[in-house]
Amino acid sequence: MRRCDKISYGGMAMRLVLARAIACAIWLALGLPAPAHHSGAAEFDSNKKIDLSGVVTKVEWTNPHAHFYMDVKDSSGNVTNWNLELASPNVLIRNGWKRNSIQPGDMVSVTGIRAKDRPDFGSASVITFPDGHKLTFLAAEDPAK
Amino acid sequence: MNRKSRRVAIGLVSGALLAASSLAAQQAAPKTGTVGLYRNQQLAPTGPAGKLADGTPDLSGAWLGGGASDADISNPKGLKPGEQVVMLPWAEEVVKHRQSKEDPEANCLPAGIPRGSPYPWRIVQTPTHYFILFEGNIHSYRQIFMNAKHPEDPDPTWFGHSVGHWEANTLVVDTVGFNDKFWFDYKGHPHTEKLHTIERYTRTDLGHMSIEVTIDDPGAYAKPFTTIGRATLMPGTELLEYICQENNQDLPLLSGPARGPGGQ
Repeated sequence: MRRCDKISYGGMAMRLVLARAIACAIWLALGLPAPAHHSGAAEFDSNKKIDLSGVVTKVEWTNPHAHFYMDVKDSSGNVTNWNLELASPNVLIRNGWKRNSIQPGDMVSVTGIRAKDRPDFGSASVITFPDGHKLTFLAAEDPAK
Repeated sequence: MNRKSRRVAIGLVSGALLAASSLAAQQAAPKTGTVGLYRNQQLAPTGPAGKLADGTPDLSGAWLGGGASDADISNPKGLKPGEQVVMLPWAEEVVKHRQSKEDPEANCLPAGIPRGSPYPWRIVQTPTHYFILFEGNIHSYRQIFMNAKHPEDPDPTWFGHSVGHWEANTLVVDTVGFNDKFWFDYKGHPHTEKLHTIERYTRTDLGHMSIEVTIDDPGAYAKPFTTIGRATLMPGTELLEYICQENNQDLPLLSGPARGPGGQ
């Protein structure tokens, strides 16, 4: 999913690239989203995994992060409108996403992690559509529709 | 030319054309791979770096990386061998108490010098001014006045006042006049208005640029130190817009001490 092995966002000499690869492996093992303009660890709890299914209600193709919202019904029939975060549009575009890759009305399943201090806010790791194609926090696994 | 000779000649010409078109196809399909966060990118070329018409090194192109460790500037792996970051006692106290939500970068404010970001940037060279254009963190620019002097008492600003000159194939950028607001990294290493940076940009080949930054701030550090970085060219990439202030929903959700992206 997330190709963190070659991240060189600080652009270091080779040995630092290696150090980053190790740090990155640890960080991905924690399930934290890719770096952006803030510490992912300060916002999300890698122990609070989410696994949601529902209907997309809104998409915000904005910076510093794109967001989509989805209605998720629990076993009692109560509906929660989740706010799910993605990387920034410039990262997504370079990695195969399009602004309409996900749209209101889409039925999707989402795995990811939850914000530490807000129960209806998460970081979306993988989005799966009924036809099986997937999008991730960083990239389109299959060609975006 | 008899019929047989003609057939041989046609065969030779066809073969040569096929070989040429195959070579052209190979040349037209540059190698691709992951560069930073970005997949299926054209990989940086090798070969000698070029020069502008006036003979100065050509630094053009979209570059990725090259900044210091944005997680922790004191990490020895991002420092010149043998260098150490030695904070004055007050600076150590500041680092202990800073919170992630206070990071200017999380607030969509400039990351300063030499903090890296995951977004490409570009240098634009004119005879009198060089400009560094940043795609992100934040979508802004620096201006470098070539062969100029600093003003006597520059107003403190986020990017300071930068003057540049060439030393052989290295662009040397000297900057003073910083405010004390940006952080060197996610951990919150501070600085004062006494900060003076000297950046050295050397395009080591067509696809790579080494960047060394000497940080001298007697207000916060016991001695100067030098960071090292290596930027990679992203052929075919253009900068995109990144207006961080547009929809920054993260800030109210950040909690806890200042720390790296993965919590380190």
